[in-house]
Amino acid sequence: MANAFVAAFEILSFGAIIVLIVLGLGIIASMMGIFNFAQGEFVLLGAYITYLAYAKGLPIWAGMVAAPFVVGALGFALEALIIRRFYAAPIVAMLGTYALGLIIRESVRGLIGGFYLTVPEPIGGSIDIGAMHISAWRFTIIIITLLVMGLCYLLLSRTSFGLRVRATLENPSLARASGISTPLIYGATFAFGAALAGLAGALIVPVFSLFADLGLRFLIQGFVAVMVGGVGSFIGPVAGAGLIGTLSAALPWVMAPVVADVLVFVLAIVFIKFRPQGLIAGKGV
Amino acid sequence: MLDRTQLTRRRFLSNFAFASGAVATGVGSWVIPAPWANAAEAPIKVGIATDLTGPIAYAGNADANVAKMVIKEINAAGGLLGRPLELYIEDTASNESVAVGNVRKLIQRDKVDMVLGGITSSMRNAIKDPIVARGKTLYIYPQLYEGKECTPYLFCTGPTPAQQCDEFIPWLIKNGGKKFALPSANYVWPHTLNVYARKVIEQNGGEVVFEEYYPLDQVDFSATVNRIVSNKVDVVFNTVIPPGVGPFFKQLYEAGFLKNGGRLACVYYDENTLNINQAAEIEGLASCLDYFKVLTKENPFDAKIQAAYEKDFPGNFLFAAGSAATGTYRGLKLWEAAVKEAGKIDRESVAAALDHAKIAEGPGGPAEMVPGKRHCKMKMYTAVAKGGNYEIVARSNGLVDPKEC
Repeated sequence: MANAFVAAFEILSFGAIIVLIVLGLGIIASMMGIFNFAQGEFVLLGAYITYLAYAKGLPIWAGMVAAPFVVGALGFALEALIIRRFYAAPIVAMLGTYALGLIIRESVRGLIGGFYLTVPEPIGGSIDIGAMHISAWRFTIIIITLLVMGLCYLLLSRTSFGLRVRATLENPSLARASGISTPLIYGATFAFGAALAGLAGALIVPVFSLFADLGLRFLIQGFVAVMVGGVGSFIGPVAGAGLIGTLSAALPWVMAPVVADVLVFVLAIVFIKFRPQGLIAGKGV
Repeated sequence: MLDRTQLTRRRFLSNFAFASGAVATGVGSWVIPAPWANAAEAPIKVGIATDLTGPIAYAGNADANVAKMVIKEINAAGGLLGRPLELYIEDTASNESVAVGNVRKLIQRDKVDMVLGGITSSMRNAIKDPIVARGKTLYIYPQLYEGKECTPYLFCTGPTPAQQCDEFIPWLIKNGGKKFALPSANYVWPHTLNVYARKVIEQNGGEVVFEEYYPLDQVDFSATVNRIVSNKVDVVFNTVIPPGVGPFFKQLYEAGFLKNGGRLACVYYDENTLNINQAAEIEGLASCLDYFKVLTKENPFDAKIQAAYEKDFPGNFLFAAGSAATGTYRGLKLWEAAVKEAGKIDRESVAAALDHAKIAEGPGGPAEMVPGKRHCKMKMYTAVAKGGNYEIVARSNGLVDPKEC
């Protein structure tokens, strides 16, 4: 019983981490129609900013709060300077964002000297329930993920900004005719997606430590999650991420980890073959 | 339109010329020329092929730094056989195909007299043939590794499984317990090391509860941690590597493994890897290597080389055993001794002398090659992490045999 509870918690917490990472990726893919291969590096930047705050002796909370704003601002600038030129050619956009990611990743590698660096969690240690120990920080991540997920949903479905974003996605020319500044909306959406990645990086760096390939590690899983969930809606990629995250954390409990690693992707490919539109088809929130 | 295509072609050609020029002269090649030019004979050429870029660049740069330090020291003392030494450094870039090309440059273009380098086993396997067989050159491999490398003219100066297990595992059984878990990354070094470790564990009355392999990029170990805790494992003999090792140790800590008296053990852990986790998460972690920085407090020679290294190369690239820096030092000094004894620089004579070369002082103590085995006897130390630093808790009596070949 206790064992089953710990297992459920660990699987849920890894699922939450994947959801957190995929949120930004999913929003950019669904609301703008481009696959951002630099998303993993935005996660890395969020982690790096948190580490910088820690290394400079600031409270880690400060770094975690600053990370989404700094990465979001960078995302806004990159969209205006580079990404904007790729909207007409989604394939070129993939290559372009990949190159961007490569530049960011290797710059960070240079800055941290290729090392693996620890960042302590603001809420450390474990919560003890009888003989069971669950990580306090992973528990915090689950709570924050739920909050962020809820807020994103409300932002996109209930606010006028959300309405404009969806209008811009559905019919850009009609949106422009109605007085919506579509370039500004694209910029803001991209910045928002980047900010979410920055937040994810800031929150996961105490769990995984800081290293240059941190973002790359989750990129493939993130894309599989978006494919499985379905592009076009907010809720699709989130559902896909929950599924892929829990699956990749749950399978090692019942089989050899080396097999589990491959099996997740095999299952995803089979799923996409029979349901190419993904778990949740259609546009909207 | 015509104009534009011609311009493009011209630009393409000039770019192409630049690129091929770069390829020909070699980006990522460094030559440190001999300090005196009017030598009676040409300088002796030492080649270093190591990972200056890529994921383990911190280790490769440290090795290159050690080589610069040793060569400078030998030159300052008058060189070898009256000839100065010239250092050629090539990047292996953690990429075997790039490495083979760059090593060929050392052999064919620079015609070096000896190559030292390679950190991972896959790198050694990729570059040994271009060096030893086709290149007909002497090769020294400086890193701790899984053993079983018995190629002629290839000399290993880092610790082997026997050196890292024979004294360490009995210590772990006495200071941890009898029930071992062997969580491992899925590649050659953990597989081969575990075969040896399991043998030593069982010979000493211990028991392996489970031995399990994970993908190299796995970062979530909840299932493993649960097996360790629920099976009441005493010692986790870890060969999971970064990036997985940090989250793994953290999850073990959070599950109360250390609180309940569990012992972490990891034979590649040195000063570089201490920063992957917070000090409390790896409190009591035991490692067994040929050198720890804390030895500088008791051993004047270690204090001297550590100080010389830190003076020349302050910064992040540490002089540490796990990154092959000590093996590089030992390898170059043994080779120096061999060249002095042989009195010549051709491969046969140097290899014959290197086969039984000895140095009285090196990192961690003296070292000597085991004749006919091409592996090196050295002192081994067991150290335990306490509050973010190591403390030596056990040491070998004399030199430990590598038991290879």
